[in-house]
Amino acid sequence: MSVAPTASTQAPAVAPPARAALRALVRRGLLDNRRAPLVWGGPLGAMSAFVVALYPSISDSLSQAVKGYPAGLKDAFGITDLGTVEAYLNAEMFSLFLPLAVAYFAIRCVAASIAGAEEHGYLDTVLVTPVARRTLVAGVFATTAIAVAAVLVVAGLLTAAGAALTGQALAFGRLVAALAGVWGLALFFAGCATLAAGVLHRAAPVLGAGAGLLGGMYLLDVVGKLADPVQELRWLSAFRYYGTPLTAGLDGAGFAALVLAGALLAAAGAALYERRDITG
Amino acid sequence: MDAVIQTDKLTKRYGSARGIDDVSLTVLRGEVFGFLGPNGAGKTTTIRTLLDLLHPTSGQARLFGLDSRRDSLAIRARLGNLPGEFAFEPRRTGREIVAFLAALRGLRSLGRTSELTERFSADLDRPVGHLSRGNRQKIGLIQALFHAPELLILDEPTGGLDPLMQEEFHKIVAEERERGATVFLSSHDLDEVERLCDRVAIIRDGRLIAVEHVDDLTRRRYRHVTVEFAEAVDVSELRALPGVRNLEVDGRRARFGVAAGALDAVIKALARHKIVDLELAHPSLEEIFMTYYAREEHHA
Repeated sequence: MSVAPTASTQAPAVAPPARAALRALVRRGLLDNRRAPLVWGGPLGAMSAFVVALYPSISDSLSQAVKGYPAGLKDAFGITDLGTVEAYLNAEMFSLFLPLAVAYFAIRCVAASIAGAEEHGYLDTVLVTPVARRTLVAGVFATTAIAVAAVLVVAGLLTAAGAALTGQALAFGRLVAALAGVWGLALFFAGCATLAAGVLHRAAPVLGAGAGLLGGMYLLDVVGKLADPVQELRWLSAFRYYGTPLTAGLDGAGFAALVLAGALLAAAGAALYERRDITG
Repeated sequence: MDAVIQTDKLTKRYGSARGIDDVSLTVLRGEVFGFLGPNGAGKTTTIRTLLDLLHPTSGQARLFGLDSRRDSLAIRARLGNLPGEFAFEPRRTGREIVAFLAALRGLRSLGRTSELTERFSADLDRPVGHLSRGNRQKIGLIQALFHAPELLILDEPTGGLDPLMQEEFHKIVAEERERGATVFLSSHDLDEVERLCDRVAIIRDGRLIAVEHVDDLTRRRYRHVTVEFAEAVDVSELRALPGVRNLEVDGRRARFGVAAGALDAVIKALARHKIVDLELAHPSLEEIFMTYYAREEHHA
């Protein structure tokens, strides 16, 4: 049986608007990442909820213990005061573990969707449709921003539920500020990974570059707090702009700088991606 | 007829490594054009450069009269492509893949997907990661054809397909030609190219060594003949047969090459003797390339 294609089924002779392609890319990307909020946000939220639930039983001994810590160490890890549940949650989760994990998730999203997809040959089919490479990159960046937000919403809800169930007076506004701060930080590293994917053809080097930068910036910030000679270099670390939003509130300028820098890095990555070969 | 694909000294190098060198060819509207060459000859590099996945080191390619780099989006709106190794995110089903690609093309319907699915007996509802190579290839062909593009660029389209599906693919290519589409396909398979194509380009070591009408190519073809007689045969009799070359005789056994056009006369001549065994074999593509090489060096 053969059916001659009619004019209505034939490919249009002009490329469709980029907005339509972007919508399709984001929808597809979110579908690919639909388990991420539970897989990533679930355990992170459960850990945060556990930390919050644990706080009443150890708060007294904590205060005593913290008094004995060296001042530099307390500064470095933001443990100036563990007299509130927010301060304890910040020290246990929001100063190290949660921002590193969520930023790594963002790097992983970008590495898999651009360099990983190229490595496995998936883009050979997508990039022969009338979709500009910059639209593909914008779609991946937007998908990552939404997926990171979804992971943080799940983590935040579980944390708030943990506080509510154990009767802790966790300031909801501060929790939202902290989650927003982590989102901005993750977006900055998503931008870095996009820049790397603009040059590198394989997922592992992109992941390695992004994770290396993440670890390096964290160390620079911590060492900068401990050692005066390095302190002047802290401006080079994204963690300097992230601050301690759970205890000190969101630094609006730092947040905007991280998001803007992430978007600019992604735009630079898209420009490089346009210029290079897709090796497949 | 106007040119749908036109390359002018198209060159792609990977650092110091060779890709393709000075490839100049023209594919006309409505033509089925075969692109032949051994692995690593530069077929896929040429195709990827036409599709703007690779950027040429020098030279130029024009599709529909548009520049392959500057006007890439407008070009890609009008073509369908099957890559050499069709791959997609393994959890996605064929239906999801086609729907996604239709959305990227700004199409509201899945076009000819149902018809093609039926003809290829394809399974659109299983994740592609669970499909055999042949069944994945069917999904690849459907996504290349569903929107009825003006130009089809197919890299080894029958790889992994069983003979029945290869036959169906051949019918579809004939129908595409009928409706005025242009088909550019790369292949290892000389028989397939001969059957489907109007013209053929042969590439080796990154250089285009011949562009031929299929009829001309066919005239140049020959067969390897191995024959075992019941009794020894006079060598001079075999040597005198029309179109025979490279004759080797070992007792009752003879091996030689014969031009395809002379096959009938040779078989009739051999039949005058009692034959114990007879084998006819196609020359390998490599041997045909060597023939072209020899011709090219001779011309040089």
